[in-house]
Amino acid sequence: MKGSDSIVGRLTLSLTLVALIGALLLLLFIGIEYRMSFAELSDASALPAIIHELTEHVVIPMLLLATPMTLTGLWAIRRALKPLEEAARKIDAAQGQSRGVRVEVESLPLEAKPFARSVNALLDRVDVAAAMHEAFAADIAHELRTPLTLLSLELDQLDGAKSEQLRLDVGAMRRLIDQLMLLAQVDAERAAHTSPTPVDLVELAGDVVAQMAPAALADGRQIELNGENSGVVPGRREAIAAALRNLVENALRVTPAGDTVVVLADRPGELAVRDGGEGLSPERLDILVQRLRRADHASSNGAGLGLAIVARIMAAHGGRLVTNPDRRELRLIFPLC
Amino acid sequence: MARLLVIEDNERLAALIAEGLAGLGYRSDIAHSLADADAALAVAAFDVIVLDLGLPDGDGLDWLRARQPAGEPPALILTARGGLEDRVNGLDAGADDYLVKPFSVEELAARLRALLRRPGRRAEPVLKVGSIKYDSTSRSASVDDRPLDLARREADLLELLLRRAGQVVRRRSIEDALYRLDEAVTPNALEAIVSRLRRKLDDAGAVGQLHTVRGVGYLLREPDQAR
Repeated sequence: MKGSDSIVGRLTLSLTLVALIGALLLLLFIGIEYRMSFAELSDASALPAIIHELTEHVVIPMLLLATPMTLTGLWAIRRALKPLEEAARKIDAAQGQSRGVRVEVESLPLEAKPFARSVNALLDRVDVAAAMHEAFAADIAHELRTPLTLLSLELDQLDGAKSEQLRLDVGAMRRLIDQLMLLAQVDAERAAHTSPTPVDLVELAGDVVAQMAPAALADGRQIELNGENSGVVPGRREAIAAALRNLVENALRVTPAGDTVVVLADRPGELAVRDGGEGLSPERLDILVQRLRRADHASSNGAGLGLAIVARIMAAHGGRLVTNPDRRELRLIFPLC
Repeated sequence: MARLLVIEDNERLAALIAEGLAGLGYRSDIAHSLADADAALAVAAFDVIVLDLGLPDGDGLDWLRARQPAGEPPALILTARGGLEDRVNGLDAGADDYLVKPFSVEELAARLRALLRRPGRRAEPVLKVGSIKYDSTSRSASVDDRPLDLARREADLLELLLRRAGQVVRRRSIEDALYRLDEAVTPNALEAIVSRLRRKLDDAGAVGQLHTVRGVGYLLREPDQAR
């Protein structure tokens, strides 16, 4: 029986049972009282009288009793379970947020409290595990830098065709380490609830462009800043700069030599990067952004975790990362206050 | 030949840095601890300090902050801490530049060149990037040893860009340096000076070294060459 899986189903079933047993007992009682026997049932003239008697003394009282009981039972159960539904909705809504989600125990019915407390204890353990995981990632990244420096310096002393490829490989490892550290830090800051400060987006964009221009020019790509309308948003400057830097790095990678990457400070609360690539469809962006959640790290071309990190930084600021493939733009949108 | 003090506790790393820089014309002394560094600084003059942050006898940043009144020589921090605020903290502590591990000798050398070009006690009077040369005492410029005839502001601009060669110099800081406070700067004035300077450099044979980063500033680079 499927209904017995839900509390409402169980209640209906048990109330039906109560009604049935009650009806049988009543039937028995009436039978004894009126000395009716099954023999009389065969008498055609007696049947209507018996049915009348039964309706009056069994069916009506049972219905009068069972209907309000069922309705009140349903109402009581729905009401009692409402806080549980609320709690579940809250946990679902907090999916993008990795830390600090708890069930509110006080609003729950007494019977559900032990369960809620266990869930909270589990969430505590998950948070602790996440913090340890982050610290571990940051430690690993930190510890890898020194051997990687040795490797890179040794490579500088080598000549030949192989060494250039090895240098590129070291560069890719270095990018990955940078991204891991950045990610760990963004999460740690969010967990610590660091308070935001006003960030001048135009000035920040100028800094990032100035910082990245020498390498871009050395690779034969131009980079420029367009517009000065982005204004000021509350946030964490270094994190936003890292997000923009990741977008520009991404743009430089897909832009052919000789072309220009444009950083746009064109609208209030927004920054965008236009590249010379083919444009990124929303579906593809979604896949790249989800990479962290899916732990799908099979990257071949060095795109790495960049966009996923950008999306996470934006989420931490209550903003979002959107793509406009027709304009070949990726845009950071901050909430306007 | 510029003389460096490399303060780095990893012996192999220190040796590799010294070796790599020796090939590029720097002489490096190595200190494996802050105590060694203090001893070295007491007996010799250095042009630049290259400082690792995690040292056996203390934190490099604290040491730098404590030395700060002494002021010179300029310090470049090498670190494995690549966090968002670490760079800011490093510069606040009095470092002149900040390089996150891993790095290549070329990157390090480029940063050192930029530090040595900075105006200050030990700034070299003759600035040189590729075939462009500028003597800041006589205020004369040349390309391939052929003198370049520059107007006053063109020369000022060239000196500014040479001192920070390889980096973007922001428009505003150029305007601040080239014009007095009471002078009105029209938006196109700087562009006109830049394009005149660029034409003169191009004509003299230093082609494609002065770049415009639109909306941000200008940048003078070493000429492109096959590495």
